[in-house]
This record gives sequence, structure tokens and C-alpha cells, in this order.
Amino acid sequence: MKSDAVLRIDNLGHDYGKFKVIENISLSIGAGKLSALIGPNGAGKTTFYNAISGKFPPTRGRVFLADEDVTGLPSHRIVDKGMCRSFQITNIFTHLTVQENVAIPLIIQQKKHFKMFGNAFKNGEMIHKVRQVLEQVGLADRGEQVVANLAYGDKRLVEMAIVLARVPRVILLDEPTAGMNPEETENMIRLIKKLASVSGTTFFITEHDMKVVFSLAEKIYVLHQGHLLAEGTPEEIRSNTEVQEAYLGRKVHA
Amino acid sequence: MALRAHLNIAGPAVLVLVLMIAPLLVPTYWVMILSEILILGLMAVSFNLLLGYSGLLSFGQGAFFGIGAYSAALMLQAGYTNLFLILLVGMLLALIIAAVVGFFSVKLDEIFFAMITLGFGMLLFSIAHNWRDVTRGSDGLPVFVLPTLNFFGAEVSFYSPIHMYYLVFSVVLVAIVLLWLIVHSPFGLVLRATRENKQRVSFVGGKVNLLRIVAFTISGTFTGLAGVLFCLFNSMATPEFMHWSFSAKPVIMSIIGGTGVFLGPLFGAAIFFFLEQIIIRFTENWMLFLGVVLVLIVIYFPQGVLGTLKSKLLKGEPK
Ligand SMILES: Nc1ncnc2c1ncn2[C@@H]1O[C@H](COP(=O)(O)OP(=O)(O)OP(=O)(O)O)[C@@H](O)[C@H]1O
Ligand SMILES: [Mg+2]
Repeated sequence: MKSDAVLRIDNLGHDYGKFKVIENISLSIGAGKLSALIGPNGAGKTTFYNAISGKFPPTRGRVFLADEDVTGLPSHRIVDKGMCRSFQITNIFTHLTVQENVAIPLIIQQKKHFKMFGNAFKNGEMIHKVRQVLEQVGLADRGEQVVANLAYGDKRLVEMAIVLARVPRVILLDEPTAGMNPEETENMIRLIKKLASVSGTTFFITEHDMKVVFSLAEKIYVLHQGHLLAEGTPEEIRSNTEVQEAYLGRKVHA
Repeated sequence: MALRAHLNIAGPAVLVLVLMIAPLLVPTYWVMILSEILILGLMAVSFNLLLGYSGLLSFGQGAFFGIGAYSAALMLQAGYTNLFLILLVGMLLALIIAAVVGFFSVKLDEIFFAMITLGFGMLLFSIAHNWRDVTRGSDGLPVFVLPTLNFFGAEVSFYSPIHMYYLVFSVVLVAIVLLWLIVHSPFGLVLRATRENKQRVSFVGGKVNLLRIVAFTISGTFTGLAGVLFCLFNSMATPEFMHWSFSAKPVIMSIIGGTGVFLGPLFGAAIFFFLEQIIIRFTENWMLFLGVVLVLIVIYFPQGVLGTLKSKLLKGEPK
């Protein structure tokens, strides 16, 4: 079946042992959209991302990237197919410099990771590209700093830069504002909005903070205890009583 | 220019100069010790491509050293005396075996990686030890005729320790320059990235296992080259080279010198041999003193001698 979805999930399920963490998840995300997967702590958002991004193969179901079946491929193949992700717990190269962090995905993207001579930073094109990516996330003046010395919010921006460097068609962000203070959160939201509006890249983010999501997403999927509870525009989700119950943990009386 | 940049240029330049004139100034015995330092130093620097740059503790490096040495001994016994051919074949054999061992080992990490490489090392040691028809077992394979070199029309032989030293010095210099280029290449950067966070590398599209196999193969190839040199220097290949206790040498040298600095393991080799020479004058308990020195270095030079000195010297310098 042909579709114009850039990411399509078909009946996905995953078990940890006998525990069915997520079950029967089907969704289809159009190109260039900014969608969000929300759900309370432990709903299974990270498990879902892990299963579709190659951290482990899903127990059931299929994953399609622009109609190509990528189910169960290892992470590096899925990145090559155009989907790259960030992690809920910052996942970067802490002891390398900011520009090295960005150069690594660029080197791999250009298939130069088996090049045994020359220096990545003696190459004008590489320097230029690294700079471009760092400017996108607002870290252009930190290029030479070792990541370990950066503030927490900046480390999360480094991860964003790593992902952007691969110029993916689909970007998965697992709680991009996790652990951030209000100012950093604000900054991150602005950044994601800007990137989504100019790049034509498809963003799919998870969040458990409804406020963040409502200010960002065009389309929202609600995950509750491993099942998709609802999907729709922010307005539809906001007024959905089932969602309110799931979040507040009690019956809502209208 | 910053101090770091000065040091990175002047340090190696001075070192090369010292190594070039040293044999003219010291007694023959020390010329031979210097050759040994350079050969084992090459082994340690190649080994450190794994420990320092890939985060993989290989405990079977002696196997590749032995393969180089046996390959040279067997070729010389069979009457092949072309120096370049002997160097090349030794490297090639080490490369092939390292690629195979690497293929099976790199999926593992940490202690499991150390154990599987130790296991392969013991396996290859046993072959060298027990295949008496070819290797003469524990007696080792002696070398009676050394290769010669046609040097701009003059036939150069390597029977004198000084000639042997300059052969060793030239080959080690070329090999170390090549390893330096590799470490500072895009491949070297991505390799360091796998050491830090292999999951991230794979989540930006890098094939971590393949990167590691390549690193393992390069490391084994240059270790094989060191083995060829040692066989020529020593006029003998013995199974002892492939024993796990020999594989511990590059580990100890790298840790003494510092795994985080490119030339750290070479310095470690020098310290190792100097200490040995000094200590055996006073006592036969060299191992005891080596133990004490190791303990002191690990405590007081956590980044190895060269590593710690360098970071003390460059404190506050931009990276
Ligand atoms: N490796 C694992 N083995 C067993 N159970 C796990 C494992 N990882 C997660 N779980 C369980 O699966 C459920 C879903 O976890 P998951 O991390 O996917 O939720 P989440 O929606 O990302 O939550 P959060 O908002 O806290 O990040 C939780 O009950 C969790 O305890
Ligand atoms: Mg999560």
C-alpha cells in the first residue's frame, strides 16, 4: 500500500519478558509535520522509540520509513535510511569538544569514517558544515569547548546538533526538555519550532509535559499504559475526557 | 603560539634527533637496549590504538608479535633474504590473523574482550609451541642469515648492533608516523568516539563493530611488524613471544607511559627497560620492583608518566 506518510507504524507491540509494555500501536506521520507522543511516566514512550529506532527489534508489528520496511534493522541502518534520534538521558561524547561531537556524524554521513589520513578539521568544507550546524542550535561560540564543561541545557543542545548533523528526514526526540529549567525549556521549544518550520524535516517528539506539547505539536498521540488512547489536534486532545482521566487519574465530570 | 602546539612539534623533533645520534654516543650494550625499547615501543603504541583509542584491552597482542617473528624466521630459513619482502609478509600474515581474531572478538567489551583475546592468544601460542615440525616447539627457530639491504648501490648488512639499530629506528619511525596519521584522521576521531559512547556512534549511523575490526587489524599488523623486527634483532623466534605473559608487556608499558598520549606507550617501554637495567644490577628481584613501580605509578601518575607530566605542564592551556 502506497501512502504519503514518511513514518508509518503498523500494529507495533513490545514485551519485556511476559510484560506487554506497548501493544497495538498504529500510526502514520505525514512529511514535514511536527507530531508528539505524550503519555504519563511509564506509559511506554521510550520503549516505543527504542523499538522503532533500532535499539532493539519490536516483538510485534512493522515500521515503515517512506514505505520501506525497516522493522528490526540495527540502529546504524535506520539512521542511513533517514531517521535519527535523541535520548531522554543526554547521549553525547562528553570528553570530546563540541565541534568534534558534530564532526562525527558528519564524517559518517560523508562515509569518511574509514579515511585514515588527513585531519577532519583541516578540511574547509567540514569546518563550514560544523559551524552551520552549531549556528542552528546556537552553540557556534562553544565549538572548541570540551562538552563536559558545558551547562546541562547546552549539553542537550549538543545532542540536538549531533542529530541535525545527519540531516535526517525524520527526527525523533525523546523528551527534549527533560531536566531543563524553565528558561532552557523555553529556548528548546523555540528551537524545535524554528527547525520544524524552516527545514521540512519531520519531527516526532515525546513529552510528558502537556504544556510543552500543546505549544509545539500539530498532531498529538496519547499513549496510556502501552495503548494509543487518542490522537488528534491539540484542541481535540485538550477536550478529550478520556485523556484528562488518564492524566489526572480520576473521572472528569463535565 | 600556545605552549601545547610548541610541545607537540618540538617534543617529537627532539626525540627523533636524540634517537638518531644516541647510538654514536653510548656503548654497544645500550645500543641494543635502545633497539629493544623501540621495537617493544612500537608494539605498545600499536596496542594502544586499542586500549587508548578504542577502549579495548587486548590481552592477546603477543600472538601477532609472534606471527611476525615466525614469519620472518621461516622465510629466512627458506632462503628469502629480501628485507622488504620479509617485513611485508610478516605484516600481511599478522593482518590476516588479526582480522579473523578481531571479527570474533569485537562484539565483546571490557573484561570479556580481554578474555576472548587472551583465549585466541593462548590458542596461537599452543600452535607455535606444539607444531614442532615447523616451529621446533619450545626450542624456537633460530635465524642464521640476516636480510641485506641495497642502499644506493652499497650492500648493507645488519650483523653489527649499530646497523641493526638504524634499521629498527627507520622502520619504527615510519610505522609510528603512520600510526600517528591514523590516530589523527577522521577514522581516528570516530574510533575515539566509539570508545566514549559506542551507542551514540551507532545511532548516528556508524558501524561500531566494523570500526573496531579495522582498528584491531591495524593494531595487529603493526604489532606483527614489531615481531619481524624483534626476530631480526634477536636472531630467533620463540613461542614465548606468544605467551600471555608477553602480551602483558604492552599493557604494562602503556599504563606506565600513559594511554591518553600518543607516545605514552613508547615512553612506557623506555621506562620499563631502563628500570630493568638499573634494578637487575642490584637484585634479581626485578619483578618485585616492577610491581612496586607499577603501584607507585598508578597511584601518583594516574594518566601514566608522560600523560600526567603533560597535563601538569599544560595546566590551564586551551585544548
Ligand atoms: N528494560 C526494561 N525491562 C523491563 N521493563 C522495562 C524496561 N524498560 C522500561 N520498562 C518498563 O516499561 C514501562 C514503560 O517504560 P518507558 O521507559 O518506555 O516509559 P516512558 O513512557 O518513556 O516513561 P517516562 O516518561 O518515565 O520516560 C515502565 O513500566 C517501565 O518500568
Ligand atoms: Mg521515557
